[in-house]
Amino acid sequence: MISIRSNWRVILLVVFVLISTFALFSPTLTDRSATAEVITEQSGVTNLQYGLQLSGGTRIRAPLDGYTASGIELGSDARTGDIEREVAEQIQGADPTDVIVRRTAQTTATVEVTAANMTVDEVQDGLAAAGFEPDGIREGVTETTREEVVRILQNKVNEAGLSGGTVQQVSTATGDNFILIEVPNEDSTAVRELVSDRGTVVVEARYQPDGSPNYTRDIVLQQEDFQSIGTAQERDSGRPFVPVTVTETSAPQFQQSMVETGLARPGGTRCTYETNPNNTDPCLLLVVNGEVTNAFGMSPNLANSLRRGEWAQESVFQLQTTNISEAQQVAINLRAGALPARLDFSGDDGGTTSFISPSQGVDFRVNSLIAGIIAVLAVSVVVFVRYRDVRVAAPMIVTALSEVFLLLGFAAGIGYPLDLSVIAGFIAVIGTGVDDLIIIADEVLAEGGASSQRVFKSRFRRAFWVIGVAAATTVIAMSPLAILSLGDLQGFAIFTILGVLIGVIITRPAYGDILQLLTTGNH
Amino acid sequence: MAVFTVPEVDYTRYSNRQLAAVPIFILFISLSVIGGWYLMTGSPVIQGIAFTGGTEIQIAATGPQNAVETEIRQAFDAEPESIRSVPAQDVYIVTFQSDVGSVDAATLESQAEAAGLTVRSISSVSASFGTSTQALALGGLAVAFVGMSLLVFAMFRVFVPSIAVVISAFSDIMIAVAFMNIFGIELSLGTVAALLMIIGYSVDSDILLNNHILRRSGEFYSSTYRAMRTGITMTLTSIIAMSVMAVVATLFGIQLLASIGTVLVFGLLADLMNTYLLNLSLLRWYKFEGVSR
Repeated sequence: MISIRSNWRVILLVVFVLISTFALFSPTLTDRSATAEVITEQSGVTNLQYGLQLSGGTRIRAPLDGYTASGIELGSDARTGDIEREVAEQIQGADPTDVIVRRTAQTTATVEVTAANMTVDEVQDGLAAAGFEPDGIREGVTETTREEVVRILQNKVNEAGLSGGTVQQVSTATGDNFILIEVPNEDSTAVRELVSDRGTVVVEARYQPDGSPNYTRDIVLQQEDFQSIGTAQERDSGRPFVPVTVTETSAPQFQQSMVETGLARPGGTRCTYETNPNNTDPCLLLVVNGEVTNAFGMSPNLANSLRRGEWAQESVFQLQTTNISEAQQVAINLRAGALPARLDFSGDDGGTTSFISPSQGVDFRVNSLIAGIIAVLAVSVVVFVRYRDVRVAAPMIVTALSEVFLLLGFAAGIGYPLDLSVIAGFIAVIGTGVDDLIIIADEVLAEGGASSQRVFKSRFRRAFWVIGVAAATTVIAMSPLAILSLGDLQGFAIFTILGVLIGVIITRPAYGDILQLLTTGNH
Repeated sequence: MAVFTVPEVDYTRYSNRQLAAVPIFILFISLSVIGGWYLMTGSPVIQGIAFTGGTEIQIAATGPQNAVETEIRQAFDAEPESIRSVPAQDVYIVTFQSDVGSVDAATLESQAEAAGLTVRSISSVSASFGTSTQALALGGLAVAFVGMSLLVFAMFRVFVPSIAVVISAFSDIMIAVAFMNIFGIELSLGTVAALLMIIGYSVDSDILLNNHILRRSGEFYSSTYRAMRTGITMTLTSIIAMSVMAVVATLFGIQLLASIGTVLVFGLLADLMNTYLLNLSLLRWYKFEGVSR
């Protein structure tokens, strides 16, 4: 009779295999939460998710451009916005959006300068000119800024309809921080275009103050002045635009400046900025990433509504663009927000880009499966030849495969995306697994097999000592790589450790029991 | 059907010195290869783009190999560092080092597309990112090795058998690295993974041998034979599995699996030698002479 008590290890293995089967194939699990869904594309039959290497897509890893000056003294009543403007004035090539002041205590703050192509000296001199003495200046930006960038980039990726795209922060062993962007099924050019710009959108008024012959440009609307952003659309006449609503607090101000600058003059304004910039009515300029992308005048209706002071109640406005894709870009940027710092692709501290075509990904998936199966077949042949006993060899192969099956179930269960490094981990697990099973088999079968339960137990314990020490070694060897969030070897390390643990705790002990049962049948 | 039994070696015919001479000689040669490599190239190993920075593009193209390679060379302004072909799939792997006029992935991608080539994948790594990956990989390898050594010493609590395991593992890794240099296999994330696996495999067979000889009753040579029967079966199984995987993966152009397979075969062959010549001779010395001292 087969008793539960002496075969609990086999029963445990069966239970785990069933759980794994459920995790892998149960359709109830496919409707998972949004966070898991966005990581990667799902495959057909199973609940497994594949990383970029196996499904195709783009991965970009880059640091953020900027310098952080810490320990800046400032008065407790000083407004950070004013300081940002002061500092920006003193640094060539920086405007107020390139300077971020964050208070760290009552009278101290950090100042980040995120304009492109700066040097430490330029930042140092600029701060000194503005009257600040930082404790130190380092390359990089603050944690808060990085978090903001991650949030905004994620918004951008979502707004652009790149489904499944993820953005996260990673750090290296040496303490450098990178932003990691992964987008399935999209080529690298498209993704880079989307994430490489700051995405600042401002509306400026260009006018001649009080009859002066020179034109002045003033910012009249910024990203935070918009309450809601409509969908980019085209008028019947073919002119694309983005409908926006200005916030209640900014609307009266905008209304007033339109009247003062002469944009809202009776009969409206006709803008000829593009053809004749030195002799034009006042214009509204749409400035994206610091460059004027479109210039437009004002219709008589709108001008009148602004003059009468009625506009501020509705506060609806149309940002006109030259073509529809630009309108979409503006809408995305407005909705996602402007990045406080730019991703740095240039220079020697730049990051990495990789793109894998979907067909390549599928090829990898199928071919590595074939390579794995052939390797397992090779193991089976060797084991059969060595033991010349199906009762020893067959369970050995089945047990080794069950370890990979449990790992696959685990990956499906937690939604860990499989990539090549995880597959390398599976290989390591099968490899050490078969080694351990051979140790168990040789031990249990020594001198014609264990004659009694007591002999079996003591032999099993002896085999287990070797297996346990070897497993502990592997776990120790892999753990540094498993902890660091950056390395491409993280998946390898995690799955090797998991596999070894599953092996030592669940599957390999069960093999001992199966062997005992099959070879002596005296349970 | 082929019969596979582990032959019994008559160790009594050889002195400890004779047994240890071969593995020590090979370790010495390997260290010379690695040292010479360092003197000649400034790096002890051939580093792949993951560590030096650079760009790798996989291009799908059919036609005679020479014609395709010329076409690829013409497509790019920068001179490729290498072009390899994957015969089974009509895929060409083109790599660029990062220092060549600082070529970036986007430019290369557009040049390839302009020339009508089908880009299957592209990946680029910046030089400093490569340096940081290198630090991570070497650090990981060093921590793994030290961790393994400490654990082995904690388990056996005697010097000679413990140091035998550590030396064997060290030698296995060095021989594998020397072979990588000789066969032109780059240090990549895959090969670092393989070197880490070698630590695991090496310790497996060494601990098995130590355990049989030190912790079991029985005469030295019969314990050795029992350990060898299990250990050699283990290692041969792994060697065969890894060779098969390396060949299949090479045909399919899955570099990661191919390089893991190849490096593990080197390491496992070295392990067979180190375990049953070097480690065994140290254990025999310890058992017959070291203990009585």
